[in-house]
Amino acid sequence: MAHLEARPLRVLLAKLGMDTHTVGVTVIAHALREAGMEVIFTGLKQTPAMVAAAAIQEDVDVVGISTLSAGHTRSLPELARLLREAGAGEKLLLAGGVIPEEDVPLLKEAGVDRIFTMGADTRDIVAYLNEWWAEQQAHSA
Amino acid sequence: MKDHAAERNAASVDEFASAIEEEAARWQRETRGPFVAEHPERREAFLTQALKWPINPLYTPADLEAVGFDYQQDLGFPGEFPYTRGTAPNGHRSDFWTMTQVTGFGKGEAWAKRARYMLDQGLSGLILEYDLATTNGYDSDDPLVAGEVGRAGMALDSLEDLEQAFDLPFDKLKYLMSVCNAPQPVNLAMLIAALEKKGVDPRDFVLHIVNGILIEYTCVGRYIYPPEHGLRLATDCIEYIIRNHPNWAPISIIAAQLQPAKANPVQEIAFSLAIACAYIDATLERGLDIDTVAPYFHFVVNVDMDFFEGICKLRAFRKCWARLMRERYGATAPAAMKIRIMTSPTTVALTLQQPLNNIGRLAIMATACALGGAGESMTTPLHDEAHSLPAEEAIRVGAALQHIVAHETGVAETIDPLAGSYYVETLTKQIETAAFEEMQKIDDMGGALKAIETGYFQRALGREQYERNRDIEEGRRKWVGVNHLKLAEERREISIFRLDDSMEDEQVQKVRDLRARRDQPVVDAALEKVRAAARSGANMVPVCLEAVKVYATHGEICHAMRDVFGEYAADSQLGGI
Repeated sequence: MAHLEARPLRVLLAKLGMDTHTVGVTVIAHALREAGMEVIFTGLKQTPAMVAAAAIQEDVDVVGISTLSAGHTRSLPELARLLREAGAGEKLLLAGGVIPEEDVPLLKEAGVDRIFTMGADTRDIVAYLNEWWAEQQAHSA
Repeated sequence: MKDHAAERNAASVDEFASAIEEEAARWQRETRGPFVAEHPERREAFLTQALKWPINPLYTPADLEAVGFDYQQDLGFPGEFPYTRGTAPNGHRSDFWTMTQVTGFGKGEAWAKRARYMLDQGLSGLILEYDLATTNGYDSDDPLVAGEVGRAGMALDSLEDLEQAFDLPFDKLKYLMSVCNAPQPVNLAMLIAALEKKGVDPRDFVLHIVNGILIEYTCVGRYIYPPEHGLRLATDCIEYIIRNHPNWAPISIIAAQLQPAKANPVQEIAFSLAIACAYIDATLERGLDIDTVAPYFHFVVNVDMDFFEGICKLRAFRKCWARLMRERYGATAPAAMKIRIMTSPTTVALTLQQPLNNIGRLAIMATACALGGAGESMTTPLHDEAHSLPAEEAIRVGAALQHIVAHETGVAETIDPLAGSYYVETLTKQIETAAFEEMQKIDDMGGALKAIETGYFQRALGREQYERNRDIEEGRRKWVGVNHLKLAEERREISIFRLDDSMEDEQVQKVRDLRARRDQPVVDAALEKVRAAARSGANMVPVCLEAVKVYATHGEICHAMRDVFGEYAADSQLGGI
């Protein structure tokens, strides 16, 4: 967090694998932009390696993965590992979509910072991100 | 003489409407106004659910006058242009709509077993869905699709898989719908080859391909090649079927995929019809005429919970198609102007919370479908679909729902029973007018292909998705169980299909064994012919047919076309995100 001046939070949103359901990620993207954040979308059919590379190249603060297929128990831990290995473990890693309750401990253990499941209110997501960002900036100040 | 009579008639209609308008103003002043002053309205604005058009407290003949409603021009009679009152001359008094239910079919080789069971239950038609590896153009052993094999449908790697899946009694099976849009010519070729191997007479069987690539680019996302090549492949399949298997069905426009992506009724009609025009224009360029081509077009249309928006959308849809075929293409055959529709209650109105409430929602939406004209057929989703694979009881309730609407409510006893309602006719006309304006706008930007390539459709839907989500979050739209009458302690169980690794491993092994066994130089030559045809602009179906018959795999043929067409990657801007 080298930037000391106040700047908008940069968020990378991504879809992994062949899951092409985009309504959720579209709604989140609009809500975050409306709240003044910078949002970049990777496009569909990404691999964890592609998302990790994009997160580093775009120098984002937050990586948000939207998942509506059951592949998340495999792909999310891999993405978390790749980010850590690339020295980008400090980026906030979020997941949302259809994620059964029983998968949450495994994902958190693997390095996913927060999970918003179906029906989460976009205002809660914005508030959470604003709070996290304020904390980050307080630390780096 | 006739003109004088018409003028006199028009003049008296004007007088009638203005007299009503004066009376309505008096009623507002003397009766309603004072009442509302004492009893304020329960909401600030009354709006239709998707279009968010203001709803008046009362509709009168003056409203029909204001939108320029004319019985003969706008409605006419059932079975005649412009088909607003239905495409069937006798509504549903001779026959009900065909009642169908779409059920998911497990995966892989289990499909034949399940299909045989369904045929034993008296069904004569089946729907074949494929997994995401197949619909996105990959073989099961491609590392990109690990974890997806056989999950959302059948894994299809080669003709061998279809030969096994088609271990079916083809004396009973007369109709098969296949849903595989981006790799459509490959899929069509495999189906043709497999049917040939089974000795099925193609004249005695209907193969229906959805062939819906332009909606994939617009909102579903299962595309492979850039849109212009996608359109060319779809057109190849339409042309091939019309010329070689004229009794088959080469295309469905699934407006019912635009609706869950939050297209409002105007966008649903305009985007669907603009997309239809793109396919039609491309097919006409192949030397076919409109009266031959148009009757092959088939639509699937959803209704949502706003009863009148849904009913008026269906009525306007029929009329817009009829006008488009006649005015834009100069169609003369009635079959070209009569839209073919399958209707359905939408799944996106259903809630995960308090799932039994969904039975009520489905009954209301199915009634709206019936009142809107139902179409040739109606399909109903099931009330527990949001939770898991449908249970037997849900399948029974779903089937019963359509019978309750058909036999118990009386809505099918007269033709188009809501015609003449001041509200229904006003809204129908408003939707039609707005849909034509939107189609004009799409035309001005160069048609549906351009609207996709520039991201216009995608951005328009993205905005709707965000705004309608806000309506729910901020309580402007009340949704029982979600933001209204919520149960405090409801535990929501989501069951998702768990990966069966052994099934995936077997499928991967199967395609690798096949590759090791076949005559590789023959396969390579066939793939080279696929590349050559892709470059030359020849119809792709015959070369795909040659390739699948020598057991080139689905993924290999899709890759051969990738070599020529490249791959499509939509970024934020183009994705509407």
